[in-house]
Amino acid sequence: MTNNNLNKLLVFCVLFCAQKTSIVHGAQALETKVALLLHAEPENPKCFAEGMSDLTCFWEEDEERAGSADQYSFIYTYQNENSSECSVTALPAAGGKRLYFCRLSQTQLFVPLDIRVFRDELLIHNRSLFIELVFLLDPPANLTLTSTGTQGQLKASWLPPSLKYMGDSMMYEVSYTMAGSHIGKVEEVQASSELILRGLQSGTKYKVRIRVKLDGISYSGYWSTWTDPVLMETMPGDLDPLIVSLSLIISLVLTLLSLLVLMSHRRFLLKKIWPIIPTPESKFQGLFKVYVFASLEYETRYEEWLGHSTGGLWLRPAYFYSEEFPAPLEVLSEVSLGPALPSSALPPKASEALGEEDEDEKLKRVDSALMEGWRETPQEHWPMDQLRAIHQHPAPWTQSSLLESHDAYVTLNAQNHSGEEPLDDILEETLPLQVLFASGRTSSESRSDLGSFQQSSGLGRLSSQSSFEYPNHTWPPKGPGYTYMAVADSGVSMDYSPMSSSKIDDIGKGVIYTNEYKNEIPAHRRPIGTPIHFAF
Amino acid sequence: MTSISGPVVVLLTVLQWAGRGLPSPVRPICDPRVLDRFIMEARDTETALRGCKAGCGVTGTYVVPLTNVDFVVWETKDTEEQALEVQSGMSLFGQALGAVRESVSRVAVQILIDNNKSNIHSLGQVLRSLHIQDLPLPPAPAVGDLVTRKVSSLSELLHVHTNFLRGKVRLLLTNAPACQQNST
Repeated sequence: MTNNNLNKLLVFCVLFCAQKTSIVHGAQALETKVALLLHAEPENPKCFAEGMSDLTCFWEEDEERAGSADQYSFIYTYQNENSSECSVTALPAAGGKRLYFCRLSQTQLFVPLDIRVFRDELLIHNRSLFIELVFLLDPPANLTLTSTGTQGQLKASWLPPSLKYMGDSMMYEVSYTMAGSHIGKVEEVQASSELILRGLQSGTKYKVRIRVKLDGISYSGYWSTWTDPVLMETMPGDLDPLIVSLSLIISLVLTLLSLLVLMSHRRFLLKKIWPIIPTPESKFQGLFKVYVFASLEYETRYEEWLGHSTGGLWLRPAYFYSEEFPAPLEVLSEVSLGPALPSSALPPKASEALGEEDEDEKLKRVDSALMEGWRETPQEHWPMDQLRAIHQHPAPWTQSSLLESHDAYVTLNAQNHSGEEPLDDILEETLPLQVLFASGRTSSESRSDLGSFQQSSGLGRLSSQSSFEYPNHTWPPKGPGYTYMAVADSGVSMDYSPMSSSKIDDIGKGVIYTNEYKNEIPAHRRPIGTPIHFAF
Repeated sequence: MTSISGPVVVLLTVLQWAGRGLPSPVRPICDPRVLDRFIMEARDTETALRGCKAGCGVTGTYVVPLTNVDFVVWETKDTEEQALEVQSGMSLFGQALGAVRESVSRVAVQILIDNNKSNIHSLGQVLRSLHIQDLPLPPAPAVGDLVTRKVSSLSELLHVHTNFLRGKVRLLLTNAPACQQNST
């Protein structure tokens, strides 16, 4: 007995609570709908149907003018029927207003309905409507989002309002936005309970909501309220092939551009990465140049010159090579000093030491050549004879390429020296080297830079002595009168002095115009193994 | 020749009889959009002729069916009763529109009326497709019948016509057993 009572009480409580919940829920829904209609419907009273056989009408009045519900009478009349009255209820509303409701539980559709509202016998509202045209449904329930298996798609499904006969008249509006964004899209669908949203971004969270309305052909009404939004993330996207291809193209273009820039600035970059070992070449113009001897043009001229001469046995050592237009180097022996030593002709070029490493060898070659020349003692006057012979034919000789090529003549002087002695023992003071520079050019162009060419080093074998050491007039007879220049090259400076063979015989006659040119470098700075340099 | 033509004639005759007598099987028309189209056209006609001055020259009264539907009451009726209501109402509308057609003089109005009349005829075909037999027309309802009423203007006639289509006809079609069997 007690258990039964307790059970009944329990059941009653549960039902009551459930009902209360539903009532509360219903009240909230009503409140929402009222607010919606107050905004959407201009006419009074505002009426809406929620189901197949109901109609709810209400109107709003200010608190000041509002009366009790008894003061109002709600009269409704269907077409061709008698009038009926609905009981009015009042509810407080926000903003100092009052709402008066009337609810019909049995309705007729597809027939005009006249509504009149009286307040104390005074007609305040009058309206004629079709009930099937004022539907305000509850929003769809059970809105769910699922993945379709395809990228950028979501499937929204819902439960349509359970209204008989109206399933195919319902129209839905689905609103979807990216989570966090305010800009959304809307899609409409009719008489369906699901919709596939396409064109969505991959790997993005979307917020979807839906509302319902009757399509307006047979039934019509107002848009329902939106459902609570449902969130769902779309499938993570694969790399868009277009984006991948564009990225590849852009990276390729950037690579090509960087390569172009590198190539155009490769010298600069190489200098930075592999700096060039500085050499003093730039400081001493032409000092370290190597003249290539194998110049056809020069050889031609040399042959020419040889042809003009009376066939002297000019030694043409192949040791010296001139890079540029080479000048023949003729070594003449000095007569006045000591035993006359033949000078070995070095018609070819003045040798230029190619750097410090080759200079030693070249000087050795020069030494050997000179030695050969020295040994030809009986031919000590032979070069002079040559010159004399040449001078006798000044025209061809002057026109010869020899002069044009600015041949240089080097004289070797030996003091107290026997040809047998190796050069190694020869001190520089005992082997002055004089360079005679014969130029076909005007004296103004020529440079008379006298200086002494002395080498002081273990490597240096040659030494020259300035012609200053020899008075001009004591210069050994060179031949018939012709002007020549004595050049003394110290390797860092060149001394030129115009000479005239005519002065030997006729000293004092004639004037030799000279232009002094000094190019002196302090002795301690003389490079080791100073080569001979001729600039033309 | 005669030997061949004889059986052929017999065969053709038999086929002709068959064509007359046997009803051709018609697929049920369950698409609600068919009726929706009729409804919209009726509404357009009603809208177009609403501003007609002097009722477009139409005078007289016409008997029209009632259009009100109480779902609770409607559901208590069976299909046959519903079909009867629909078909009787459609016939009333047909008669009324025929009478209107004769009294209007404007060609534009005549075209619209003709369109509605053909729609009514098509609806009959639709009902027939749903195996709703053509019931014998009830005797002309008298004035004051519960199921009919009188209208005196063309616009009201068309308005009632639209409401009838939206209501009873549609309810009948959407709940026809033939369509219900297909959907379930």
